[in-house]
Amino acid sequence: MRRRTTQIAAIACLACATACSSFGMPRGSTEQGEAIFGLWQIFFWAGIGVAAIVYGLIGWSLIRYRRRNADEELGRVFYANLPLEIVYTAVPVLIVIALFVVSIGTEDRASSVSATPDVTLRAEAFSWGWRFGFPDEGIEVVSEPSGQGVPGPEILLPLGRTTRIELTSNDVIHAFWVHDFLYKRDAIPGHVNEFDVTPTELGTYHGVCSEFCGIHHAYMTFTVRVVQPDEFEAWLSGAAAIGEALA
Amino acid sequence: MTVTDERATAAPLDGEHRGGPVAWVTTTDHKKIGLMYCVTAFTYFLIGGALAGAIRAELAETGTQLVGPQTYNTLFTVHGIIMIFLFVAPFGVGLANYLLPLQIGAPDMAFPRLNAMGYWFFAGGGVLVLLSSFATDAGGVATGWYLYPPLSGPRYSPGVGPDLLIFGLALIAISTVMAGINVVTTAFLLRAPGMTMWRLPIFAWNVVVTAILGLVAFPPAVAAFVLLLFDRRLGGLAFDPAGGGDPIVYQHLFWFLGHPEVYILILPFFGVITEIIPVFSRKPLFGYTGFVLATLAIGALSVGVWAHHMFTTGVVDNPFFSAVTFMIAVPTGVKFFNWIGSMWGGSLAFRVPMLFSIGFMLNFLIGGVTGVMLASPPLDFQLADSYFLVSHFHYTIVGGSVFGIFAAIYFWWPKAFGYRLSERIGRAVFALFFVGFNLTFWPQFVVGLRGMPRRIVDYAPGLGWDTPNLVSSLGVVVLSAAVLLFLVDAFTSRRRRTPAGDDPWGGYSLEWATTSPPPEHNFSSLPRIRSERPAFDMRHPELAPHGGHTDAGERS
Repeated sequence: MRRRTTQIAAIACLACATACSSFGMPRGSTEQGEAIFGLWQIFFWAGIGVAAIVYGLIGWSLIRYRRRNADEELGRVFYANLPLEIVYTAVPVLIVIALFVVSIGTEDRASSVSATPDVTLRAEAFSWGWRFGFPDEGIEVVSEPSGQGVPGPEILLPLGRTTRIELTSNDVIHAFWVHDFLYKRDAIPGHVNEFDVTPTELGTYHGVCSEFCGIHHAYMTFTVRVVQPDEFEAWLSGAAAIGEALA
Repeated sequence: MTVTDERATAAPLDGEHRGGPVAWVTTTDHKKIGLMYCVTAFTYFLIGGALAGAIRAELAETGTQLVGPQTYNTLFTVHGIIMIFLFVAPFGVGLANYLLPLQIGAPDMAFPRLNAMGYWFFAGGGVLVLLSSFATDAGGVATGWYLYPPLSGPRYSPGVGPDLLIFGLALIAISTVMAGINVVTTAFLLRAPGMTMWRLPIFAWNVVVTAILGLVAFPPAVAAFVLLLFDRRLGGLAFDPAGGGDPIVYQHLFWFLGHPEVYILILPFFGVITEIIPVFSRKPLFGYTGFVLATLAIGALSVGVWAHHMFTTGVVDNPFFSAVTFMIAVPTGVKFFNWIGSMWGGSLAFRVPMLFSIGFMLNFLIGGVTGVMLASPPLDFQLADSYFLVSHFHYTIVGGSVFGIFAAIYFWWPKAFGYRLSERIGRAVFALFFVGFNLTFWPQFVVGLRGMPRRIVDYAPGLGWDTPNLVSSLGVVVLSAAVLLFLVDAFTSRRRRTPAGDDPWGGYSLEWATTSPPPEHNFSSLPRIRSERPAFDMRHPELAPHGGHTDAGERS
C-alpha cells in the first residue's frame, strides 16, 4: 500500500514536472513544431529568470525600505551610478542578442521549404470555409457552408512525410492554424504562402481560422488527421475514385 | 483677435477655476482643456468597459447566449477603437495639457486656441466613432480595430459604419497632430528661466517623445484610411487584389501607426509613475539621464518595429523587424532599474498613487516578458492572434497604462481640485483593480496557449477553454466593482472636500510650487530651477545642485 502511494506520488511528480516544463504549450506534432517548442522552453526559462530578478529586487525594496517612521525626512540620497547603469543596459542587450540568434535559427528550421516535398496540399480559404486540394491526385475536400454546429472539413496527412502547404485566400484575409503544429500562416488574396509540415505523431488535430474574417469566423474550423502513409495513399485513391464517380 | 483681446476676454487672473458651461466650452486655458480631455476620455473608458463586459459575458461559457456574431464583432471592434483612440491616448494628452506648462513654469501651452480646437476634434471624432458602431442601420463597423481590407472593403463591409469610423479616426488623427505640435513647441520654447532640457521633469520628457511619435505615425495612417475610403466609395483599387492592389500595403501603413501608437499609449504613464515613485520613496529619481536616453531610444526604435504585427503574412523581413523589436525591450527594461534604484534605500510610503505605480511595475513586467516572446517570429507563429496575444497587450495597456492613469488621478487630483480623494476607498479601489485585472487576464494566457484564437463569438466545449473563460469573465465583475467604487469616491470627494493644501505629497516638480488648484496664469512667482525637481530643492536647499553646472556634472 505504501509502495503504491510512493509510486503514485512519483508518477504525479513526473507528470507535473513534464507539464510544467512545457509551460502550457503543446509539444509540437511536427518536426517544425518541435523546433518551435524547444524555442518556447528557452524563452520561458529566460523569462522566469528575468522576472525572478526584477520581482526579487522590487519585493526587496518594498519590504526593506518601507517607511517605518512617519516623520523620516529623506531616504538615502543618490542620483546615478554609471557602472551599474552600463551593466543593467549591457546585460539585457546580451540576453536579447542570444534570444534573437536562437529565434532566427529556429525560424530557418520551422519555415524552410523542402525542394522535394512528398505531398503538396493546396489550401484555399474562403468566407467561411476551406477548399483543400491535392492537385497531383486531383482531389478536393471542401467545407460545407459554415455556421454553428457544422463540422469543418477533414483532411489526412501522412506521418513522417513532408507535406508542402500552398496557402491562399479567394476573398478576405484568413489564417491557417493547427494549434498542435505550433504554426500559423495568413491566407492572403493575391498571395500564395508556402510552408512545410512533417508530422511526427499520429492523431487528430483541430484547426481554425485565426485571422478575423467576418460573421462566421468562429466556426471556420477544420480537422487534420495524421495517419500512416499507406492509409493516406488508400484515402487518396479512394477519394479520387469518389471524385471520378461524381464527375 | 490680438493677444491683448484674448486676455481681456479671459476670466480674471486668480479667478474662478470653474465657471459655467460657456466658460468651459470656450476656454483656451490648458488646465481646463486638460481636465476636459481627461473627463471625456474617462467617459469613453466607461463605454468601452461596458462593451468589454458584454464581450466577457458572451464568452463566459460555450455557445452564443447574449449576442449574435454580428453584434459581437461590432462589440470587440468598437471596444478596441475606444480604448486605444478615445481613452488611453487622449487621457495622456489631457495629462500632458494639464501638467506640461505647470512642470516647465509656463503660463499656458504655446498655442492655446489650437489646443482647444484639438480637444473639440477629439471629442467630435469620438462621437463619429460611437455612431459608427450601434447607431447605424445594420451597418455597424465589425472589422476589428485595424480595419484590414479586403474585409473592410466595399464588398464585405458595405454598411456606412466603417465610413463613419474612418472620418472619426481622421478627426482624432488631426487632433493628435495638433496636440503634438503644441506639446513639442511648448516644451522647446516656453520653459522658465533655468529649466534646461536636461532639467525637464521626466513626465514632460515622456510626453515630448509621445508627441513626436504622434506627429510621425498618424499622417501615414490617415493616408491609409483615405485610400481605404476611396476603395470603399469611389471605386479605388488600392487594396483590392482583383484590381491589382494589395491588402499588405494597407497593413504596412496601418502598423506604421499601430506600433508607435502602443508607445503613445504607454510613454506618458512611464512618465507618471516615474514622477510618483521617487516622491513616495523620499529620494530623487535614480538615473535621470539614463531614463531620458532610454525614452528617446524607445521613441526612435518604435518607428522601426511595425511589421512584427505581420510575421505570419510571410511577406515581410522577419529577422529585421524581430531584431528591432528585441532591441526595444532593452530601454524598456532599463526603466525598471530606474524605478528600483529610486526605491532603493528610500523611505517608501504606500499611498494610493504609489500602490498603483507598484501595480504598474508588477503587471507591466509580465507584459514585457511576453512581448519579448512575441518578438520571436517562430513563437509568434504559434501565439499571434491567440488569446495569449490578447492577454499580452492587456497586461501592457491595462496593467500598465490604466494603472498609470489611476496613479495619475490619485496623485494630481488634489492639485487640480484642491481637495483629496479618500485614501481608504482608494486602497480598496487598488486592491479590487489589481485582483480583478489579474483574474481577468491571467486565464487568457492559459486559454491562448490552449489554442483559443481571438475575436471568436463562440467556442466548442471540451478543448480546455471553458474554465479559463469563466474565470476571466468573473474577473470583470471584480474590475467593474473597482471602477464603480472609484466613481463613488470621485463624486463623494466633492462633498467631503478634504482640503489638500498646495503640496499634499511633498512633490518634486514645479506644479507643487503653486496653489491647488493653480491660478489661471499658473504661477505668481517661480522658485529657482536648478534640477528637474525644483520643489524638492526648495525644501532641501542643502541638497540642491549649485547653479551653473551641467546636469551630467552634478550627477556623476
